Amino acid sequence: MTDTQPATTRALSQPVRFKRRNRFFSRVGSAAIVFITLVVLTVIFAPVVAPYNPDHADLMNVLAGPSPAHWLGTDSLGRDLLSRILYGGRTALVGPLLVVVISTTIGLILGLIAAWRGGWIDALLSRIFDFLFAFPALLLAILAIALFGKGLTGPVIAMTIAYIPFIARLARGLVVSEMSRPYVQAYSVLGFRSTWIAVRRVLPNIFPVVGAQATLYFGYVLADLASLSFIGLGVQAPQADWGGMINESRGSLQSGDFLPTLAPALVVILVVVAINIIGEELSERIGGDFS
Amino acid sequence: MTALLKIENLELRVPGRDPLLRGISFEVQKGEAVALVGESGSGKSLTTRAALGLYPDTAELRGAVRIGGIDTVSADKAQLRTIRRVQASMIFQDPRSGINPVRKIGDFLTETLVRWRGYSPADAAQLALTQLEQVGLPRAESLLGQYPHQLSGGMLQRVMIAGALLDEPEIMLCDEPTTALDVTTQASIIELLRVQQQARGMGMLFITHDLSLAASLCDRVIVLRQGQIVETGRTQEVFQNPREQYTRELLAATPKLEVSLQASPLENASQAASVSESVVKPDTESPAVRAVEISKQYEVRGRDDVHALANVSFSLKRGGSLGIVGESGSGKSTFARILVGLEQPTSGDLYIDGILRPKRSLRASERREFAAHTQMVFQDPYLSLDPRIPVGKAVADVVKLHRQVSNAEALAAATELFDRVGITAQQLAAKPRALSGGQRQRVALAKALAAQPTMLVLDEATSALDVSVQARVLELVEEIRDEFKLTIVFVSHDLAVVSRICDETLVMQNGQVVEHGETKQILGNPRAPYTRKLIDSRPVPLWAAAS
Amino acid sequence: MADTATRVVQLRKQPGGRGSRRGLQALQFVIKRLFSLLATLFVASLFVFFSRFLVPGDPARFLLRGRSPSPESIAAVTAEYGLDLPPWQQYLNWISGAVQGDFGKSLQYSQGVSEVLLARLPVTLELVAMAGLFTIILGVGAGAIASLKRGRFTDRAILMAATAFGATPAFVLAIILIAIFAVSLGWFPSFGSGEPGIDRLVHLVLPALSLGLALVALVARVTRSSMNEQMKREHVEVAVSRGLTTRTVVWRHVFRNALSPILLVTGVLIAGLIVTSSIVEQAFGLAGIGSLLVQSVERLDFGIVQAIVLLVVAAFVTVNTIVDLVQPLLDPRIAAGSETR
Repeated sequence: MTDTQPATTRALSQPVRFKRRNRFFSRVGSAAIVFITLVVLTVIFAPVVAPYNPDHADLMNVLAGPSPAHWLGTDSLGRDLLSRILYGGRTALVGPLLVVVISTTIGLILGLIAAWRGGWIDALLSRIFDFLFAFPALLLAILAIALFGKGLTGPVIAMTIAYIPFIARLARGLVVSEMSRPYVQAYSVLGFRSTWIAVRRVLPNIFPVVGAQATLYFGYVLADLASLSFIGLGVQAPQADWGGMINESRGSLQSGDFLPTLAPALVVILVVVAINIIGEELSERIGGDFS
Repeated sequence: MTALLKIENLELRVPGRDPLLRGISFEVQKGEAVALVGESGSGKSLTTRAALGLYPDTAELRGAVRIGGIDTVSADKAQLRTIRRVQASMIFQDPRSGINPVRKIGDFLTETLVRWRGYSPADAAQLALTQLEQVGLPRAESLLGQYPHQLSGGMLQRVMIAGALLDEPEIMLCDEPTTALDVTTQASIIELLRVQQQARGMGMLFITHDLSLAASLCDRVIVLRQGQIVETGRTQEVFQNPREQYTRELLAATPKLEVSLQASPLENASQAASVSESVVKPDTESPAVRAVEISKQYEVRGRDDVHALANVSFSLKRGGSLGIVGESGSGKSTFARILVGLEQPTSGDLYIDGILRPKRSLRASERREFAAHTQMVFQDPYLSLDPRIPVGKAVADVVKLHRQVSNAEALAAATELFDRVGITAQQLAAKPRALSGGQRQRVALAKALAAQPTMLVLDEATSALDVSVQARVLELVEEIRDEFKLTIVFVSHDLAVVSRICDETLVMQNGQVVEHGETKQILGNPRAPYTRKLIDSRPVPLWAAAS
Repeated sequence: MADTATRVVQLRKQPGGRGSRRGLQALQFVIKRLFSLLATLFVASLFVFFSRFLVPGDPARFLLRGRSPSPESIAAVTAEYGLDLPPWQQYLNWISGAVQGDFGKSLQYSQGVSEVLLARLPVTLELVAMAGLFTIILGVGAGAIASLKRGRFTDRAILMAATAFGATPAFVLAIILIAIFAVSLGWFPSFGSGEPGIDRLVHLVLPALSLGLALVALVARVTRSSMNEQMKREHVEVAVSRGLTTRTVVWRHVFRNALSPILLVTGVLIAGLIVTSSIVEQAFGLAGIGSLLVQSVERLDFGIVQAIVLLVVAAFVTVNTIVDLVQPLLDPRIAAGSETR
């Protein structure tokens, strides 16, 4: 016997909504997952998959168009674009991954502690986060470069720190609302230990929402780090990096050779689009698990 | 006489599901009040909205809904607007969601007057004030400039009624307008509706799940079930001579004030000679609950302290069943939470099974110890179970926590408890979302029982359930109480529910105990004026009031 | 019976209904926010100033990186920047100057830092203003249309466009726009900020588009979802049931209620424009603050970096504070004291 009505007729109870559960991700979402998996695999196995050494400059073959030898052609120094894109993915993807994973972990823990303990810990953490919110992530990254020199290490650390408050604030809000729900109070009355309730029961319930949001942040961080390489402050030439490649090939635009610039640009767009789609579908599927 | 509203064979389908409404036909005449009664899923809301042409986006319709010479099933937007402006007005269940929270009250009331009736803002405001006076809010100039969140629920509902009456409708549609209100407020709102309806000669369509409420207001009643009309007729007829089985069941399940009670087996044994004495006589063994001057204050930044409880004192013997009755703000829920240790009293002493409860936050070891004394079943069946954990495991976890047993033994114990509360073994692996409201409350009961408490506190545990489901769950509670020899504390706003299973009743108002004694005595001969008012506020059938 | 009704009503008076008390609460709210703003700026300035002490080694050498560390230049720099003074005094000197608009001397330019900044500020401001306006108008508009045509082709098309543009980093958009509109079609210049006036505006079109389009996507999304959310609310159904026209309902009850979350997201995004403009300015060779920041990092001129970072943070926090102050005007429940952040 289940309630199956669209309109709620009681003041308190939520209606039971049947979500289509035959497929977790839509067709588009599944395509996005397949694409990302493909990208990740080829990037990890770049040394095996890439046809050429990314730094190998074939000056006889500059700005060549696509051919059986070079599927995507070559850039202004005769380097194979496909290989550079594959190798470039390593720096382009590792940075955001580190930022997102670390900031989410720390943010979850801090948010949970702030909400669970309340009191002065919550107040102190909230002040710290308020302060950190004043610094846009990209700005902190640039400051890090100004202090510690070019490269990705400084920006990655800086952006990790910059994103922690976002996750922490989200986690804190979710935990606070979970704590007001009777099931958490029931655990308390039933005599379970406080830490156990927080870590083994509440945290897993908020994790999906936080995870979905973190997936969206991946895209932002990827864009920001690539931007840094684009303006020459991040990954340094001649190392392959998507942002850096776009910068290097700017000159070729004038001569009408768009591919060395547009190929990495398209890859960036597609990867971010795919990640965003996955993130949004996760958010949608997860919403309202109480129904 | 042409009916104000005439529904002919209305059928409503939404793609991919069974029909939501089937074969609905009835009329509402001028000056007539008709009740639409049903439980959740009966289609009463959909039917009422049909009169205004408020159908779900994807609805496929058949049949006709004639009002003001227009058929809403086939009408175009302009025609529907005419009906909504001139023929019918609707008041909704929750005025806090129904009135735009970011606009002022005055804006809400004058919106239609200014926008399409063409009144000037000043004239419209004047009309609004007159209307507000009629609904019991006189000299309300300052009210016009306030926002909804600044008013109480009862006042807001009056504002909503005023808004509906301003359009001078021929027929008034009411979607459970009093469900979210206290029983005393409900009584005054119902009175207001009755007065206005008769004064203006309006037709009225009144939705409710409460048959007694329908009987107190409406001449005719239509009983709906799963989108179909089960029975219809004059209210007195349907009440006293129900034809259909479902109607009979619904009537039986509707809580009534039961002045004569079956004594619980425990009481029989020890109270053989003291039938007329108050149950509050001190006992030789330590009572289950002994409250001594319990007070609770909350500090709110920027405002005065909130006094939730003030000097609550009583005692409850083991095996007794106490009903705590009060309206919102009475402190009953706060006290319930203090009983189970979710909150602590600011001052006063609370003894549970002879043990004094600390006035500071409980330690984990204390919580585990107290868990074997008091447990709670919460009000909202949808939020009181962990959505991620299968229900069998949830109960088994409690067993494992309190008894040193293996996983298998814990699961076996859980299965047994489930069987006791009426949940099948197949459902052990189900997550809460797969269960109905009634089933979830049964699971909540099993979870509470798994800790083997001596006392069970039920905080409005059946208030969110359908009437028929509520009746079954109450039966279950009685059985459980007798079998496990539990002390029961049942907190509720509903005197009738409490009278059903509790020998003693405690009435609270504004954090204080107003009256405490045997239920039969309190209901039959209440001493405090507030108790009297609570009892008098219960809906009285029209025919009974007339006599 | 009306008497009982009135009496019942008078028993339930709500607190906070007096006008003067509400006025006082409002004032307290504003003061609290302003105080918070100043406190944040103060701590931020501390952080920005002392961040260079995070770098191991001699602060003088740090400032002189990339330039010849001869004893004379070290002595000159030490005297110029007061590096032999205790750190807190160095900070005080710096911040007292900063508040008056004097950020000290630049290492790469002969002018003071402030003069350099002021010279390049207009370009950035115009760029951000153009991008911001574009974002708001197009973003809110597209989002509203998508919401009104929910589920139909227009909605899906707008959503798809939003997904595509939202995923494109500003610099990628810049390159694509340059490739199409500057190189291929030759409609717009791809480099430089031009002369003040119409020429400037023409030069800023592509940069503003690069900055704005990605944001348009996000604003459109939040507008759409916020309006969709409101459409489901009961007060909208009530308004429809009273016979108001669709236009009135959408404008007065859906859009008006959706404004608060829209403003919040849009405000934060616009504030963030200030930072992203550095990338776009660099891409288009615009002489603005952003490109100055990048160049100064390249040329290891920390004095300028410091000043710009502080300025950007100040602008960012100020915009966010303005958004916070406007919120209660949009939703009186926030003003009533429940702080929803």
